Amino acid sequence: MRHAKHFVRLFALLAVVLIAFLAVRAQVVPKDFGTLGRFRASAIKEAAMREPRHLGNEACSDCHAKVNDAWAAGKHHTPQCENCHGPGLLHVKVMSEDSVAAYPDRIKAFPKALRPTTGTQECLWCHLKTFERPSALKSIKNVERHTIEKGGTFTAASKCTDCHNPHTTVVKQ
Amino acid sequence: MTSPADHEELTRRAFLEKCAEAGAHTFLFGSLFVTTAMMRLPQEATSRTVGPRGGTAKEVIYGFVVDTTKCIGCGSCVRACKAENNVPDGYNRTWVEQYTFFPNGEVIVNSPNGGENGFEDDLPERNMPEEIGQLPVRGFFVPKLCNHCIDTPCIQVCPVGASYKTAEGVVLVDPQRCVGCGYCVQACPFGSRFLNPETNTADKCTWCYHRITKGLKPACVEYCPAKARIFGNVNDPYSEISQILATNRVQVLKSYLGTRPRTRYIGLDSEVI
Ligand code: HEC
Ligand code: HEC
Ligand code: HEC
Ligand code: HEC
Repeated sequence: MRHAKHFVRLFALLAVVLIAFLAVRAQVVPKDFGTLGRFRASAIKEAAMREPRHLGNEACSDCHAKVNDAWAAGKHHTPQCENCHGPGLLHVKVMSEDSVAAYPDRIKAFPKALRPTTGTQECLWCHLKTFERPSALKSIKNVERHTIEKGGTFTAASKCTDCHNPHTTVVKQ
Repeated sequence: MTSPADHEELTRRAFLEKCAEAGAHTFLFGSLFVTTAMMRLPQEATSRTVGPRGGTAKEVIYGFVVDTTKCIGCGSCVRACKAENNVPDGYNRTWVEQYTFFPNGEVIVNSPNGGENGFEDDLPERNMPEEIGQLPVRGFFVPKLCNHCIDTPCIQVCPVGASYKTAEGVVLVDPQRCVGCGYCVQACPFGSRFLNPETNTADKCTWCYHRITKGLKPACVEYCPAKARIFGNVNDPYSEISQILATNRVQVLKSYLGTRPRTRYIGLDSEVI
C-alpha cells in the first residue's frame, strides 16, 4: 500500500482532534449537566439557597416589642414592618451581631441598614387616591386639602406622621 | 490487478480535497446528531427529581393568580421584589401597569419606573388632549411578572442550557451557564426577562424560588397590602390558590400564543396585552 502512511497520519490526526474535543468537553460541560434535563442539575439547589432579605414581622418583634405590639393591636396591620422600612436582613444582622465591619458600604449609606422613611412618601404609596384605584382602601385625594381639613397647617415640611402614628394610624393630639 | 494509472489518479491534492470533503460531512452530520440529541433531553426536571423540600416533585406545582380588581397600584410588590432580589435600577422583575380609558376609546398605559414609587394622581395631565378635554371613564392596574409558562419560548431558544424549569413548574436561569446572548429576552412575548447589567446574565422573576423553597411566600405576594397576588400549590385542592382558581373566572395573558402561562389573571380586560 503506497498510501498507508497517509492513512496513518490522517487517523492519528483525527484521533488527536477527537481526544482534544473530549478533553475540552469534559472540562467545559459540568458533570451534572443533563442528569435532570438540558441544564445543570445543581443550579436548582443554588437558586434555592439564597438567603431571604425580607424576614417578616416576627423577626422584628423581639427587639421592637413596643412598636410591634402597638402595630398588632392597631388598625394598621395590613402593611407590615418591611413594607415601609425595607428589607430587614442587614439591619437585623448589624444590630444583633454588631458586625458593622462586615457591611461597611451599606452602613455608610444607611446607618441602620434600613430604607430611610420620610413619613409621607410611604403613606402616599398606599393612600393617595388615583382614578384607577378600586376604592376599597381609605385614601385621601389631596395632601394639602386633607391636612387643612383636619386642622393642620400645610407646609413643604409637613408629614403624615406629624399627625398620624405610622404604626397605629392613631392621630396624635 | 490494478493498473498504475488507477493510483496516479489519486494525486495528493485530490486526496486532501476528499479528506476535507469527508471532514466537512462528518462535522455537519455530527453536529446535527449532537444538537438533536441535545434537543431530546427534556428541559423540565422530570418526576424522578426530588425537590429541595424532599418528597417527589410531582407533589407540588406552583401557580400564581393576579387579581387586577384588587390592585391599588401602590407598588409595594415592585419595591419588595427589587429589594429582595437586588434588581438594578431601571429594571424590573415585576411591574405594575396603569390602564386609563377615555370616552373616545383611547387607552393610555403608564408604568413610571415600573410603579416602584407608586402612581401620582396626575389626572389633569392625563386628560384627553385639549380639544377633546374629556375625563377618563374607566381604569385599573395590572401587575405583571413572569408567567412561568408551561410551553416556554425562552427556554427553547437558550443555546447553552442555562434556562430551565424545575419540577414545580418554576422557570429559572442558571447564572453560571448563561452567556448573556439575550435570545431569551427577545423570545419572551411578555417582556419578563432582561439582561442584568451587573452580572451580564439573563435575569427574571423566580417566584422568589429561594423563599418558596423555605416555605415563605414570594416577596411581592407577602407585601401586597391588597391581596391582589395569590401564590401557592395548585396540586393541593385545599390551598388558597386552588380555591380561588375553582371559584373565579381566570384568564392568561396572550393565550393565543399558546405558551400556557401558570400565572393567571382575574378581571383582565381585552385591551391588556
Ligand atoms: C437584634 C435586635 C433588632 C432586631 C431583630 C430588629 N431591630 Fe430595629 N433596631 C434595633 C436597634 C438596636 C436599633 C437602634 C436604635 C437606636 O439607634 O436608637 C433599631 C432601630 C430601628 C429603626 C429606627 C431606625 C432609625 O433610623 O432610627 C427601625 C425603623 C427599625 N429598627 C426597624 C426594624 C425592623 C423593621 C425590624 C424587623 C425586620 C427590626 N428593626 C429588627 C434592633 C433590632
Ligand atoms: C405604614 C408604614 C410603617 C409600618 C407598617 C411600620 N413602620 Fe415603623 N416607622 C414608620 C415611619 C414613617 C417611622 C418614622 C416615624 C417618625 O418619623 O416619626 C417609623 C419609625 C419606626 C421606628 C423608630 C421610631 C419609633 O417609633 O420607635 C421603629 C423602631 C419602627 N418604626 C419599627 C417598626 C416595626 C417593628 C414595624 C412592624 C411591626 C413597623 N415599624 C411598621 C413607618 C412604618
Ligand atoms: C402598604 C400599604 C400601606 C402603607 C404604606 C400605609 N398604609 Fe395606611 N392603611 C393600609 C391599609 C391596607 C389600611 C386598611 C386597614 C388595614 O387593613 O390595616 C390602612 C389604613 C389606614 C388608615 C385608616 C385606619 C382606620 O381608621 O381604619 C389610616 C389613617 C392610615 N392607614 C394612615 C397611614 C399613614 C399615615 C401611613 C404612612 C405612615 C400609611 N397609612 C401607610 C395600607 C397602607
Ligand atoms: C393635620 C393632621 C393630619 C395630617 C398632617 C394628616 N392627617 Fe390623615 N387624618 C387626620 C385626622 C384628624 C383624620 C381623621 C381620623 C379619624 O377619623 O380617625 C385623618 C384621617 C386619615 C385617613 C382616613 C380617611 C378616612 O376616610 O377615614 C387617611 C387614609 C389619612 N388620614 C391619611 C393621611 C396621609 C396619607 C397623610 C399624609 C399625606 C395624612 N393623613 C396627614 C389628620 C391628619
